[in-house]
Amino acid sequence: MPEIKKQLPAITESNRPFWEAAKRHDLVVYGCSGCGTLYSHVTVCVNCNQPRMEWVKVSGKGQVFTFCIYRQSFHPAWAGDIPYNVTYVKLDEGPLVMTNIVDCKNEDIYIGMPVAVVFDDISDKVTLPRFKPVS
Amino acid sequence: MSIRDKYAFAGVGLTRLGKIPDMTPDELAAQAITLALEDAGLSGKDIDGYIYQGGIGGGLSDTLPLHMTGINAPMVWQVASLGSYANVMVAMAVGAIESGLCNSVVLVHAASAASRRGGGMGPMGMGASTPGAYGWYGPGATAACMAQRYMHLYGLTREQLGSISLTLREYANKRPEAVMYDKEITMDDYLNARMVVEPLCLYDFCLVNDGAVALIITSAEKARSLKKPPVYIMGYGIDHSLRVAGQSPEAIHHFDGFVAEKAAEQAFGTAGITIKDIDVAEFYDAFTIFLLSQLESYGICGKGEAGAFVEAGNLKLGGQLPANTSGTALSWGYLMGFTQLTEGIRQMRGEGGECQVKDAEICLVTGLGGMVDNGSAATCCILRR
Repeated sequence: MPEIKKQLPAITESNRPFWEAAKRHDLVVYGCSGCGTLYSHVTVCVNCNQPRMEWVKVSGKGQVFTFCIYRQSFHPAWAGDIPYNVTYVKLDEGPLVMTNIVDCKNEDIYIGMPVAVVFDDISDKVTLPRFKPVS
Repeated sequence: MSIRDKYAFAGVGLTRLGKIPDMTPDELAAQAITLALEDAGLSGKDIDGYIYQGGIGGGLSDTLPLHMTGINAPMVWQVASLGSYANVMVAMAVGAIESGLCNSVVLVHAASAASRRGGGMGPMGMGASTPGAYGWYGPGATAACMAQRYMHLYGLTREQLGSISLTLREYANKRPEAVMYDKEITMDDYLNARMVVEPLCLYDFCLVNDGAVALIITSAEKARSLKKPPVYIMGYGIDHSLRVAGQSPEAIHHFDGFVAEKAAEQAFGTAGITIKDIDVAEFYDAFTIFLLSQLESYGICGKGEAGAFVEAGNLKLGGQLPANTSGTALSWGYLMGFTQLTEGIRQMRGEGGECQVKDAEICLVTGLGGMVDNGSAATCCILRR
C-alpha cells in the first residue's frame, strides 16, 4: 500500500510570504500599514477596511489560548500520532495562530501556558511553525 | 410590509432514520417529498419551487427527486451553508414566494452519511496555516477548543455537558422514530465514554445516520385550506459573523460562544416578540457545547450560566425552557438544521407525542454554520401555531 502522507500547507500567492518567512525561521503575521492591527489571516483590515497590508515579523512568543487533544484518528496519516494536540496560541502581539505544542506532554498543556515558536523543517520546501513551553 | 405570519409550513415528510444502505440520497429525498405531499394533501403538480442542500451530508443529484415525485418546478435552488442552512432555506422560500417566483416550495435534505462515508469534512479554515498540516480535521476540534476555553473561563464541568446529552437522550427514548430510541444512557456512561477530541467524548458528538426530510412552505391562506393545521413563520434571522481568529480582540469571543445576537434581533424584531415569549426551543446541536453556548447567545442565560441552567433540568419538559424535544442531532437523528426545524413544526402541530410541550404556541429554531476560527453563521426561525 502506498504510504499516506500528511497534508502539506497549501501555499498560494497570498500566503507565500508566510511560508517563505517560516523557511528562514521567521514568524510573520499580516498587518495593516494604516493602523497597525495584526492578523494571522490574509485579510483586509477590519478597522480601516483598507487592503493596505504588509507582512510583519513578530517575536514568536505567546500563550496557549485553547487546545484540544485528538484521541481518535480522523485522518490515516495522523493515526500513529494519537493522542496529539492542536492548539491556538495567542501571540504577544495579538493574533491567534493554529499550531501544535511540542516538547510537552499533552496532559501538561494548559490555557495561559507561556510558549515560543520552534521551526519544524518537515521537508526541503516546507517549515511548520510549532510552539514549545518556555519558563 | 412585514412577512410575519404570511407564510406557513403545510407539509412534513420524514423517512426512517438510521442506516439505510439500500437507498440512495435521491431515493430518500423522493420518499420524503412523497410523504410531505401526502401530509399536506397536495400533489407534485402543486409544487413550483424546490430548494435542496448541497455541501456536506448531501449527495442529491439536482432534480432527480423531482422527476421521481411528479414535480415540475421552474425554480430550483441549491444551498450550502453547513448547519445554518435550513433556516436560510426558509428565508429563501419566503422570499421566492413573496417576489412571485413561485407559490409552493418544497425544502429537502437527504443524508446518506452512515452508509456512504467519505464525503465528510476535511480540514477547514485558517488562511495561512493550513489546518490539515497540524492534524486539524473535522468540526469536532472546533467544538472541543470552544469547550476547553469555556471550561477555563466559566468552570463548566463534564457533568454539565453530560446533562445535555442525558436530557436529549431521555427525549429520544420517548420517540420511536429516533435513532437512539431504545438506547438509554446514564451519567456514568457519559463520564466513561471514549474521548474523541478531548475534552469532548462520544456523547458530545451528534449522530451519523441516513434519512431525509421534506418540508412544504406556502402562503398562510393556502396552508389554511390544506389537510394539516398551518405552522406560521413569524420571523427569521441570518447573520454571517465574519470574524476571524486572527482579529483581536472581538473575534476571540467565538471561542467562548457563538455570535447569534444579530440573527436573534432580526427574527424577534419581525415576529414582534421577545425571547420570554418562547414556549419551546430547538437549538442546533451538532455538539453539546454548541447547544450550551446558544443558551447564552439568545439571551436565555447570562454569560457563563448555561452549564448550571442545563444541569438544573431547565431544558426538560416542565423546565424553564423545554428544548430539543425529540433528542435532536445528539440522539434523534442528524439531518443538519432540518432536525431542529422538523421538530419545531411538530411541536407547533401538537405532534410531539410523549415529548409534546403542553399548550406550546411559539417555537424558536436555530442553526449554526461555519467554524469558530473563521467566522460563523447563526440563523434562526420563529414558528407559531
